[in-house]
Order: sequence, then structure tokens, then C-alpha cells
Amino acid sequence: MSTNTVKAKIFRYDPDRDKKPYYQDYEVSIDRQVTIRELLSIIHRDHDGTLAFRDYVCYKGFCNTCTVKLNGKAVRSCATPVRPGQDIRIDPIQEKLVVRDLVVDFTNM
Amino acid sequence: MEVSKVTTDVVVIGGGGAGCRAAIEVAERGLDCILVDKGRPGRSGATPCALWSIQAPFGPRGRDERDTPEEFLMDMVVGGRFLGDQNLTEIVAFTACDRVLDLERYGVHFKKYDDGRFYQTPMPGQTYPRSCFMYENGQHMSTVLAKEVARHENIKVYKDFMVFDFLKNEGKVVGIVGIDQLSGEVVAINAKATIAAAGGYTSLWGFSDNPPTLTGDAISMAYRAGADIVDLEFNQYYGTDVIWPPSVKGVVVLYELLIDEFASGDVTDRYGKPLFQKPLPIRDEAIKIIFKAIQEGRGTEHNAVLFDTTRSPKGEEEVRRIFKEMTPKHYQLLIDAAGLDLAKTPLEVAPASHYQCGGIFINERAQSTIPGLYACGECCGNWQGANRIAGTALCGTQTIGKLAGEYASNDVRKETRVVSIDEKDLDNKVKYIESFMSKKKDPIRPVFIKEKILETMDKYVAPFRNEKSMKEGLSIILSLRDELLKIEVSSIKRCNMELREAIESRLMIEAADLTLRSALFRTESRGHHNRTDYPEQNDVDWLKHTIIKEKNGRPEFSKRDVIHSRIKPPIGKKA
Repeated sequence: MSTNTVKAKIFRYDPDRDKKPYYQDYEVSIDRQVTIRELLSIIHRDHDGTLAFRDYVCYKGFCNTCTVKLNGKAVRSCATPVRPGQDIRIDPIQEKLVVRDLVVDFTNM
Repeated sequence: MEVSKVTTDVVVIGGGGAGCRAAIEVAERGLDCILVDKGRPGRSGATPCALWSIQAPFGPRGRDERDTPEEFLMDMVVGGRFLGDQNLTEIVAFTACDRVLDLERYGVHFKKYDDGRFYQTPMPGQTYPRSCFMYENGQHMSTVLAKEVARHENIKVYKDFMVFDFLKNEGKVVGIVGIDQLSGEVVAINAKATIAAAGGYTSLWGFSDNPPTLTGDAISMAYRAGADIVDLEFNQYYGTDVIWPPSVKGVVVLYELLIDEFASGDVTDRYGKPLFQKPLPIRDEAIKIIFKAIQEGRGTEHNAVLFDTTRSPKGEEEVRRIFKEMTPKHYQLLIDAAGLDLAKTPLEVAPASHYQCGGIFINERAQSTIPGLYACGECCGNWQGANRIAGTALCGTQTIGKLAGEYASNDVRKETRVVSIDEKDLDNKVKYIESFMSKKKDPIRPVFIKEKILETMDKYVAPFRNEKSMKEGLSIILSLRDELLKIEVSSIKRCNMELREAIESRLMIEAADLTLRSALFRTESRGHHNRTDYPEQNDVDWLKHTIIKEKNGRPEFSKRDVIHSRIKPPIGKKA
């Protein structure tokens, strides 16, 4: 595989439209280390405007709003880097609280 | 789109420090309140990103017994370059201690001396050390405030709620209309009083140390509702925000920590030559020094200067301990996201957009010039003046937040009847949002409009500006207005990010337009507004507020006298 891309497998689910969740694959070109938050923003901008995730709110490692699961482990996406060449999987932090894709409802968290 | 309707006594927009404080005040006065936030209260707005510093002149109960509210007032007035209305600054100065004690009552942990006095740090612009120290910084304060909000049964919280306009009827603001981003449902809230606590416009600039949610929504909506807007040309920059690498661009590192009491370091040019003398300059002076160095070619390849604690006589371990104690999250984020340990590596820093000094014009009851609308926090405008000194932002959220809650409640109690929503007004506003989802001939995605706004503001409304460049900037913003009509987003209901971006684009264009015109209007240099074509401060013509009022769909500009009720400005000089 090319060393200037990240292959990301991302959890997708819209309860209004999909019978059940599925994974969508994205191959994203990057020329440097980026954070997961940056990666999701690149996907949103250049690949798929319909992907839902929390790009809010602070980008500064404080608010925990952007927390997702990276390869099964909870991380703040704004504070967690990925390197070109990596294969990753991104899931919502709690599947049963999913509103759409990676966005969960924080009411009970 | 389906529209549901609710009614309440007071609706508050924004769950940061000011909005939470206002809502608590309303609830404690026995009224019903709805608090809405783009994210969720306690984790949203600029308050969680703030540092430890909240100014309060505790005097004998603090670090230096000589300190008084009068001294605090004087520091704010001088720091604000005499452009703050003193009817408001006075309230901030004289109620700050009470509000800090409120915070302590809610559960905020302040650092204290063994005998119970407040520990206070010195910051530039303070005659005596006056910044009370909150452990875990603004994040702790906002979490505690959100918990206090949750304790009140008469406050209902709508989180993930994107407000897109005020509702008006009979010349009065009668509530708000917004979208529940999770469900996609539109909700109109009819309220007897509306409090804007929606934060500033700092994220109209791409290089900002604020959360990206702060897109000037409050000023944009208040302007359209007919309220007076004041002094938008004074966007405060903070001198030392990380500019490289992009993963941590906009993380604030405090130059105030470079004094000998703390880390004992320097801001230097790329050759290692220190730029600041001690005592450290206040913020408007600091950015001028940094820009001069960069302009003279003494900056780094990323047009930055260096934040350097690596040569501190205190040594690496002690510097690390200080940053871990005083700004733990910022210190850790630089390590986690970019592998930068500031105790070991000099950081590339430059001035970034930090605080909106102007905003919605209010009186000493936090009332805007439109009946039914109140404002507090960063979105209210006429008390900081042309510059803000460290530690007054959080202090302002609590003092003016309380004020807004108090007077909104008083006025609601006096109301004999509720002015209902004007259905036609609501319908028009909802239709506008729906129009983003209709098919277009040459569709545009809002993410690109937002990107263009940020680029334009970075380039043309820099800390140093002139007529020619700002006119170019304004023409770009005006062309983006036409692009708004071409926005096309999907009709997905749940968490439609693109719809939110479309709504924000519209609010941002309004705010950017007004800001550019304000900066063109003021033909002098003062505080954070530096005109290279008018480099002098001109007190004869410009010791005045810039006022914007909407007239027939266009902004009308005028000047208004500043209220100098306690401290008179020194005799003015003509440029």
C-alpha cells in the first residue's frame, strides 16, 4: 500500500435510512502525521460530506466531545495522531447511543 | 421542516460561563429558563479553553492588601485605552469578588494560602497581583457551572442546539428559533426575555485559539434584529499561540508564565534574542513587538517567533512542573497531538485571534437597545474597550452574566402579557433554512464558503490593517453573500453537519462584513486596531464608540460618546 495514505474503516449508521450499521472504507492522502480529528475533517471536506462526527467543540484536548474508538480503544480525536501508512478503524464511543455514524448522544454519559 | 413550539420565561443562548451564570440567576429568582447550546453546557464555548485566571480585587483577603476595586477599575480602563463604558466596567470591578465567592460556593476549587486568603498571580496590566487561581483552569469552572445548572429543576437544557435567528414581534425580541442537531427538528422558543451569551466572533479567523463554534452568531443575529452593535474593529489578538505544526495550531501558551516567579523564559526571535522586557507588556503591546520582529525578517519559516523556556535558570524539571500545575491540559495536548514538550523544545508561536472586545451594545442592566434582548459574556460589547487585560474575560462572564439574569428576571416579572411569536416571521426564517436543501444549478458546499471566510479574515483583517487591503477583503466577503444562495446540502435529518455549516456560513458572513466595515470606519490606531494608514491614536476624533445599526437592510455607522463616569481620560492629542 502507498505510504502517503491512511486507510480508514469507519462505522456508518443512520437509523432513519439504514437497517443496520455498516463500515465504509476511505483512503485518505496525507503528507504528514495528522490527528484523527483532522483526518475526519479531510474526509468531510474532500470525500464525503454526509459522514457525521463531532468536530466540535474545542480542538484543544479539553472538552472530550470528539471522543471515538480508534481500533477499539477510546481516544480524543483531537489529541490522537495517525501516520501515513496506517490502517485504522473508527467506531463511535458507545454503539447503543449512536444518533448517526460516529455521533453519540451525551445525555446519559 | 416540522416546527415544534415551546414557551418559557427566559431563554439563554450559550452554555459557557456567562450563559450558565445568567441561567442560574434566573432560576434562583424562581422563573423558568431554557438554556440552549451548540454543544453541551460545561463543554462548550470559550470558557473551557480559558486558563486559571479570574481577576478579583480581594485586597486583604487575597495576595496584596493594597488592592481595591478602584485599582481594578483603573487597570481595566487604562488597559482598554479609555474605550470601555465605565457604568459597566464599574459593575465588573465592584462585584468581581462576590461572583468569585459564588463560584466557590458552586464548587470551584481556588488555590488558597494556608490562612485562607486567595492565592493570586500577577499578570501584565495589573497594579497588584489579582488573578485568582483555579485548578484545572476554565474547564473546571465550566464543569462546575454546568453541574450547578443541572441542580435547578426550572432550567431546561437543550444541547446540540443550533440557533439561527431571534424571533421578533411588535418591535420586541420574543425568543429564538433553532435546530436540534441530533434530531433535525426545528424548535421555536417563545420567551418573555432572551439573553444572548453566545460568545464572540474569534473563529471568523482561521488562526484562532478559540473553539471553532465561536462564529459571531450573537452579533450577527442581534444586528439583524435591529440592536446596536459596538466596536467590532477591536478583535483582541493573543501574542503567543502555537502556529506549527497544524495539528496543534491555535493552542495558547501563556507568555504571562515567562516571568521569574514562574518559568523564567523568553519570547525570542529566531536567533534567540528576547523580544519582551520585564515587566511583560500587556496584550496590544505584545503583538506589536512580535509583528515588528516578524516584519524585520527575524521570524521563523512559519512567520513565527519562539516561546522558549529551554534556557530557563529554573531547569527543565521545574519548568515542566510549573506548566503541569498551571496549564495542565495545554501542556499535555502539545505532547499527545504533536509530540512537543515545551519544557524541552522552543515552540513556534504567533499572534492569533483571541477575544471579541466589541459586540452587542448594552446598558448597566445588560439590556441591548432592542426590548426583550439582553447580552452578557464575550458577545456584549462596550465595557472592555480597545484591549482586554488578562483575567477579565472570565470575570466578565460571572459579573455581567449575573446582571443579565437579574434584570431579565425583574423585567419578566413586570410583564403583564406575553408577546407571542409572529407566525409569518417564523415561517420566513424556517423557509430560509429549508432553502439550503433545495436543488441548485451550480451547487456549492458550505465547507468551502467557511474556509474562504477564515482565509479572508486572516489575510485582510490582520492585527495591522489598511484601507486598501480591507476593501479587498470586504469585496470577497460580499461576493460570498451571493454564493450563499447556491448552497446545497443533503436532506439528512440527524446530525446534518453540512446544514449546520450552511447556517454558520450565513451568520459568519454577516459578522465578517460588519467587522470589516467597522475596521474601515475607525481611521486611527488604538488597542488591537492598528491602521498602518492611520498609525496614531486620535483622541480628539476617536475617543468614541463605533456604533452599527441596521437601516433598510444596510449597516449604518455612527460614533457614540464613551461613558467616563469615574475616570476621565487624559487630555487628548490630535493625530
